[in-house]
Amino acid sequence: MSRKKTAEEYEKTFAFRFFRWLSGEKDPYIGNVEMQPQKKYEPDHEAALRREKEHDAIMDKVYDTGHNRWLHLFHRLYQTTSVLFCLFLIALLLVTVSYLPANGTVTRPVNNEVSARYIEKGLEETGAVNIVAGMILDYRAFDTLGESHVLFVATITVLILLRLNKTEKDEAEVSDRRFEPKNDAILQVVATFLVPVIIIFGIYIILNGHLGPGGGFSGGAVIGAGLVLYLNAFGFKKTERFFTEKTYKWVCFFSLSFYCLAKSYSFYTGANHLHSVIPKGTPGAILSSGLILPLNIAVGLVVACTIYAFYAMFRKGGF
Amino acid sequence: MSAVEWIRLIIGCLFILVGMVIFFTELFGVFHFNYVLNRMHAAAMGDTLGISACLIGLMIFSGLNFTTLKMFLIIVFLWFASPVSSHVLSRLEAATNDNLSSHCEIYEDVETLERELAAAGKDGDTEKKEASVS
Amino acid sequence: MKESIYHPLFILLLIVLSFMLLVCLIRAVKGPRVADRLMAVNMMGTMVMVMISILALLLREGYLVDICLIYAMISFLSVVVISKVYIGIYEEQHHYQEDAEGGNADECS
Repeated sequence: MSRKKTAEEYEKTFAFRFFRWLSGEKDPYIGNVEMQPQKKYEPDHEAALRREKEHDAIMDKVYDTGHNRWLHLFHRLYQTTSVLFCLFLIALLLVTVSYLPANGTVTRPVNNEVSARYIEKGLEETGAVNIVAGMILDYRAFDTLGESHVLFVATITVLILLRLNKTEKDEAEVSDRRFEPKNDAILQVVATFLVPVIIIFGIYIILNGHLGPGGGFSGGAVIGAGLVLYLNAFGFKKTERFFTEKTYKWVCFFSLSFYCLAKSYSFYTGANHLHSVIPKGTPGAILSSGLILPLNIAVGLVVACTIYAFYAMFRKGGF
Repeated sequence: MSAVEWIRLIIGCLFILVGMVIFFTELFGVFHFNYVLNRMHAAAMGDTLGISACLIGLMIFSGLNFTTLKMFLIIVFLWFASPVSSHVLSRLEAATNDNLSSHCEIYEDVETLERELAAAGKDGDTEKKEASVS
Repeated sequence: MKESIYHPLFILLLIVLSFMLLVCLIRAVKGPRVADRLMAVNMMGTMVMVMISILALLLREGYLVDICLIYAMISFLSVVVISKVYIGIYEEQHHYQEDAEGGNADECS
């Protein structure tokens, strides 16, 4: 019995493909990199009209928007109250600012002894080689807590403003992005390599916050950018397999509450002159400077979620 | 200065010089061509080869430390990401240009293209044979 | 590293690169198509990356190379995102124009 392979079997082997590539008979790009034609989208006019009519009917029956004077009154009251409140807040802040010392006096916060103390004793009191990280996460950790909460509040505010209802969401989601190029093969292959690299680089920046420039904010921005690249390459369906509203909620909740609890322990021991068990370590090692490393991680997670959330909200109206 | 340092200086300068020449060529090409898809050929050359040559020269200047490794990581990242940028930009141009057929040929599907290429290949072979005979 | 040789060499390279950067800006302003401008900005990012690496060696700060890597990432990401959004909006406008010329009603979205 002959050991020669039939033509069909030979075409399946590696040697055939290798010699074909070597001789250059078959162009490797034809048939491989063109984009498939997209599915045509048929707009559903009757469903949209029906939804509008239902919405108008509900507003009319339940709220009686045409004749309800309480509604008009509340609207006017809301507008005037909001303007008055803004003016009051502006006036209050300006008056407070005018109490600060004038430029050049000794008591002005820029010229007093605080900055000299931070620079001289920063390393030995916080244990961080990067005294900026030591300052924002050890001396002034309360301000950084406020900043992380500001990021969270900003995301929630934009979510409230841009939020769509469930029915509107399905219609708008299809119509807003249906012309975008989807499933680009080259971009997907490169993204499978690059996104882990970018995320690992972001983690490296976060972990090295206390040893050099970097920290939670910049590292979190890099991780957010990696997630945005993944979203652009693969689309919303695949990204929602691992990042949904629930993920965002739990990640932010855990990060911010961990930050609060950890810093509360520091405040408690510091205010009562107790000895805290968190070690400062040797400066220059990665596990040093007490709480700065965990707090960097918490801040980084919040920032990454915020950046991805903003992008997804402006593209889709929710996430 | 010892001989090793001189050699390092010379080789590093050579690489950086090559990189600069590539950057100049890229810049000249971007201004010389008259359509964006042609200019992209020149730009992509600088993005990958030009910056690699410059960074290899700088790596030689810097010696063996962590900075060198990071520069190598930059080169790897750029070699993956720059061609994809060019691909995405050319798709942008092809999708948004109404009179693209005045600049390049457009084929409707893959079979037409393959037939054209096969025909061109056969014509090229017969021309070569005629040239060799005569 | 002999300072007296490397220092002027780096300064010369920086001057040449900054001149080329300004020339790239002309293409970014002049280019008739959108892809021209995006491509010019990408080139400017690449030249800035070389400048940052040279600065990292000039000032002996190894951490500036991290910033360089972030620049590479940001320029790549911006090209991808802007292209995607622009193609989507262009084709949407095109589609609505064709619909309006054809006489169909636009959908309410």
